[in-house]
Parts: sequence; C-alpha cells; structure tokens
Amino acid sequence: MKTLLYALALSTALTVPAMARPVTLTTNMNSYGGDGAYLALYVTDAQGAYQGSLWMAGGKSKYYTHLSDWYRATQGNPAEINGITGASVGAGRQLKITLDLADALFDAGYELHIDVSAEDMRDSPSEVVVSLTTQGAGQPVPGRRYIRDFTYDM
Amino acid sequence: MKKYLIAATFVTGLAGLGTMGMALADDDDCRVPMADWQPREAVQNMAEAQGWTVRRIKTDDGCYEIKGRDAQGREIEVKVDPGTLAIVEMEYDDDDDDDDDRGGRDMNQKPTGTSQPPANGLFVPGSKPGAVVQ
Repeated sequence: MKTLLYALALSTALTVPAMARPVTLTTNMNSYGGDGAYLALYVTDAQGAYQGSLWMAGGKSKYYTHLSDWYRATQGNPAEINGITGASVGAGRQLKITLDLADALFDAGYELHIDVSAEDMRDSPSEVVVSLTTQGAGQPVPGRRYIRDFTYDM
Repeated sequence: MKKYLIAATFVTGLAGLGTMGMALADDDDCRVPMADWQPREAVQNMAEAQGWTVRRIKTDDGCYEIKGRDAQGREIEVKVDPGTLAIVEMEYDDDDDDDDDRGGRDMNQKPTGTSQPPANGLFVPGSKPGAVVQ
C-alpha cells in the first residue's frame, strides 16, 4: 500500500492525466421498503486487506458500526471518509459517484466492496464485491439484499 | 504475589470495561434496568396526555422512542426515560439538526463532503469525487 502511495505521489506530480481515469460508480437500490440506507464503498486488495474508502453515503457516525466489514477495517476512523461523505440513499433510488481513480487500481487484483445498512433492517456487509478490471467496466453486478445492481464505467 | 497479580488483572479488566462502556454510551441514552420499565401503555397514555398523536412506540438506545405528531401537528420524535417517563430528548422532524434520522424523509439532500478526499492512494491528488442521489 505504501509503495503504491509513494509511486502515486511521485508519478502523479509529474503526469497526472496518464495516471488517472474518470470513473462513474452507479448503485441502484432495490425497493426494500425501509428508510434511507447507509453505504460504504471501499477498496481491498486481492487478499481482502483494506486499502481505502471511495465514498460513504450517510452522515451519522453512530450508524457506521452497522457497515461491519468497513468498520472492522477502519475502526470507524473519520479520517478515512473526510470529504467523501454524502447523503444516505433511499429505497429505489440511484447513487451515482463520479471520481478520478488511480490507474494502478485496475487489472491489479483490487476489489471494490459495498457494505449496506438500513435502520431496523439486517446489515449487509460486502453486499457487492467486484474485481476492478477494464473488462468488467460497464457490466452490472447484482447485489444481495438492498442493492439491485452496481456498475462501474470508465 | 500470584494473588496480587490476579487481583490486579481483575481490577484493570474491570476498569477497562468501565471506560469502554463510557466511551460507547451516548448522552441521550437511558440506563434503566428492565425490571423498572413501565409498560408501553403508560408511554401511550403519557403521550396522549401531552396531546400527541402516536404513530409508533419503539425502544432505542435503552429509551422509549415515540414517533408521531404533537398537538400542533408537527412531526415529532421523543425519547422518553422508560422508568420515569421523563422526556430525554425531543426532536421536530423539520429541524435541520435532527440527530436520529437516517434520511428516510430527507434522503435526497445534498452530499455534505466539502474538504479534500483522504490521501489513501486511490484518488488522484487534487481531484474531488462528486455524488448524486436520484
């Protein structure tokens, strides 16, 4: 991880466009019939070791324990999601995130996870787990409980 | 010596538990033993005496929580001590700073992220993600 960081810090300083690609993460929610859901989108390596968070949908930290895989990896550290926190996502709605992601994340065994939780309903850690590959882009992946499908486009 | 050691471990263990409990507890939690809880009907009666219309009574953070409308018809969420039925916390759902709503009603609000994303190596430095809920 640290090497990735160093490599990034070094190379992005020189050639930002070559190292970045704009990515859209689209999450469509099921009509699960409950309050707005909290979602944590984060990246792990192929062994499942946490690398960093991409987005936190839901602003109240007291509910973050319910995003159990994310919480176990981060201990709920707010520094992990500073500046990448937004509103929770209602049933049947769509969360669309646009961001510039490091090129090194693709075709290198990294996986994107989504933990979901809704009030008074069952927690759903790692509801979606997708490998980040150039081939996988644009292909919807179904969720288990709250998420109808998830797609990343670039 | 061994006795001392065991006693010391026990005491520090207890102290550890105590501080953990403190760290986990919120200000607006109730800590009333189950045996001292008043029945739901008492909560209902108390709410009706205040002129509230009750939609739902549930338990949250060790308190009773009443959801409904007050006498003026405003949407309310009231936390009540289960032993004394004293009001612990009262929220109007049209308040901006309401604390206990996951966004069920207001789920389409704008993302609050304003500062830079964390330097976790995933984002390109200087770039900022954007999100919309539609």
